[in-house]
Amino acid sequence: MNDTGRGMIDFARQFMPALETATTTVREAGRLEGRRVGVALTLEPKTACLVEAVASLGAEVAVFGSGHSTKGDVVEALTGSGVSVFAEEGAAPDRVAELRDRFIDTRPEYLCDDGATIVRRMHGERRDVLADLRGVAEETTSGVRPLRVMEAEGALMVPCVAVNDARTKILFDNVYGTGQSVVMAVLDATNMQMSGKVVVVLGYGMVGKGIASAARALGARVTVTEIEPVQALAAFHDGMRVGRLSEAVCDADFVFTATGVGHSLTAHHVTDMKDGAVIAVGGAGPPEFDPSIGPDLTESGEVRPKVRSYETAAGKTVFVVADGYCANTSAGEGNPIEIMDLSLALQLRALDFLAMGDLSPGVHLLPRHIEDEVALSQLEAVGIQIDQPTQDQIRAAKSW
Amino acid sequence: MTGAAERSRIADPDLAPGGHRAIDWARRHSPVLDGFVRRMVDDDSLRGRRVAIVVHLEAKTAFLATVLADAGAHVVVAGSNPWTTRDDVAAALVERGIEVHSSRRSSTEVWESDLMAVADTEPELIIDDGAELTVRISRDRPDLYSRLQGVSEETTTGVARLRQLEEAGRLPMPAIAANDAACKHMFDNRYGTGQSTIQAILQLTNRRLPGMRVVIVGYGWVGRGIATYVHNLGGRVIVVELDPVKALEAHSDGHEVSGLRGALSGADLVITATGGMRAIGQTHFDSIAPHAMLANAGHHDLEIDVPALEAVASSSEEIRPGVTRYQLDGDRPVFVLSGGALVNIAGGLGHPIEIMDLSFSVQAMGCHLLARGGLPAGVHPFPLELDHEIAIAKLESRGITLDRPDPTQRDTLGGLLDLTVDGGEDE
Repeated sequence: MNDTGRGMIDFARQFMPALETATTTVREAGRLEGRRVGVALTLEPKTACLVEAVASLGAEVAVFGSGHSTKGDVVEALTGSGVSVFAEEGAAPDRVAELRDRFIDTRPEYLCDDGATIVRRMHGERRDVLADLRGVAEETTSGVRPLRVMEAEGALMVPCVAVNDARTKILFDNVYGTGQSVVMAVLDATNMQMSGKVVVVLGYGMVGKGIASAARALGARVTVTEIEPVQALAAFHDGMRVGRLSEAVCDADFVFTATGVGHSLTAHHVTDMKDGAVIAVGGAGPPEFDPSIGPDLTESGEVRPKVRSYETAAGKTVFVVADGYCANTSAGEGNPIEIMDLSLALQLRALDFLAMGDLSPGVHLLPRHIEDEVALSQLEAVGIQIDQPTQDQIRAAKSW
Repeated sequence: MTGAAERSRIADPDLAPGGHRAIDWARRHSPVLDGFVRRMVDDDSLRGRRVAIVVHLEAKTAFLATVLADAGAHVVVAGSNPWTTRDDVAAALVERGIEVHSSRRSSTEVWESDLMAVADTEPELIIDDGAELTVRISRDRPDLYSRLQGVSEETTTGVARLRQLEEAGRLPMPAIAANDAACKHMFDNRYGTGQSTIQAILQLTNRRLPGMRVVIVGYGWVGRGIATYVHNLGGRVIVVELDPVKALEAHSDGHEVSGLRGALSGADLVITATGGMRAIGQTHFDSIAPHAMLANAGHHDLEIDVPALEAVASSSEEIRPGVTRYQLDGDRPVFVLSGGALVNIAGGLGHPIEIMDLSFSVQAMGCHLLARGGLPAGVHPFPLELDHEIAIAKLESRGITLDRPDPTQRDTLGGLLDLTVDGGEDE
């Protein structure tokens, strides 16, 4: 019995009122009882609360977590509680691959996926278990993207709910959760000061917007680089400097990538950076920062925990946090509890929505009433009441 | 120097490699200490002088020690707190030939004996934190105390203690109030504590700051810094102050200002920053909202009266590392972070390196000034011109140069007042 992991799970649960409400709602529906559910999200205390909630509904739960973001204390706390755990903190890639396949061997009917990692494998080398899969709830922007590509190509064989795209998720998790926790994780890893620093943020999607505003809140001067004109204009209106990446990186103290797309930042850019610049990823992880493209970069060791140095041919040194994995989960504890309360409540509601069995193969959004119910459950828990429209307002809104 | 290892008391010499890396990292982010200060102190005034450094012993402090040692001083180091020493950094310092008496989580008795071991090296100059070493030498080593040539002091609390000694006629040597330097308190106390306190609280608890109702008790430099960071990151700030001018300042800064009891009853997070003791004590516990978290950012470990809380709680448990839950009235849990000790140091990495670059530059220059001699006994302010030079060096390290005032920009209307006596004012 590991007390640290158990304590952390219990601490988190106290600040997850929306998950509690969702658990009650889904229990009353009774659709997940006896079902095989796989959870392949970052395995830390909040996810453990979801896992235990699903198990409490009478489902058979299997859990998978990657090597770089799994918290060992949580694995220990979950092990032996009737949940099958396929995760080890710090596991090497080979071992992670083995654990992943053993997780897939449990033949989940419903799956909470992160980055569409598992569902893609089940449409590829592990088609043997695809027939049992009835639905997938996808957590991230980086996972919804390939699912939409699969759908467009006619390759997607199961209904998938884009939990990521729910307003109650993307407006909070991606902006406040990832934005703030990525910046904080980098400061924790480096012991550096943020005020007065020049920060470059690649990508002004929801995560990039969150990173940029957290860095600015801490006193940094922020430049945003974008390829989408509308996003760039949004950054401009938020008071950020906007410029081209090749120029912006030259005087950056910190460079955060938040594109969710591979090869966004490469050794070409590193060559132009200042000596001592710090690189961190807030998006999808490798190869979002790809040191293999461009002039030679030599990895020169871990200078402190979670910080590795690279040397350019010209003798400059830059530092990469958490080996280019998403910094908040790899160098920290991930998104704040109350943020994951929303996201994981939506995950649970999505599993239930999928279990209704009405959806065809393809990518689906969560219905608006579910987004609203989850938002309301957290508002109520913090003692906030909101107004209802009057009949006059409803009539006015529907008239032309 | 030979024999630093034999003379030292540290936890484990084998930890040195990690300590070297930490010191090198601190050096990389300390351009003022590594540049301007290094050049200024390299004038032989520190050569052969015995300098004691008693400050929280981690990488930034260690780098300060190496800069003074490189200038020729015989440096001896101990931690200013029995809990905060980094053993790997201590080991690395010893490998670099610097004598250290410190280990993490030592008992109070061992810590006291470490300070006395430093005293026994008969330091001429002290870089002190909370005047911990100075006060002990004055009490226990009167012969040595009379031979001390100077003290440079890091904190508000320590400066107050030195002034008490001075008023009592018991400060026979010059002391520099390093804390009062602009390059120290305006940055260290405000931005340093502000950023690192929030960072430590979020790391310890994994909670969400936006929307959180954060009560800040005390609106001095530290409280102001914390309030700014909380506000900027989306928290709702409620300030509690006793000083009417500071309360008005908080109000004018756009913060809600309230009495303590009312504030506590709606709090998600309470941060004390008063510099006093028992800012939250026995009589306030009834008012604390269920699930509120209590953290201290001030000097005293007793700003939150944790022993009194322990006494009234029906149970207590460390539910996460650094987070202790106290059950009040059976079912009202409140959480204390890092046992009520300074949360940014006890629960985090302490101040950012760049901030300590400024603070320790002030300390090093204060020590250098004392080494050069000529100051009378008493507490002295840090010289303004040195404050300016440190600020300029920091700005230059960031690639910023300043304009010089143009003579035509001077206010000449002063002439209308006809106050000129002997026309001696220069341009």
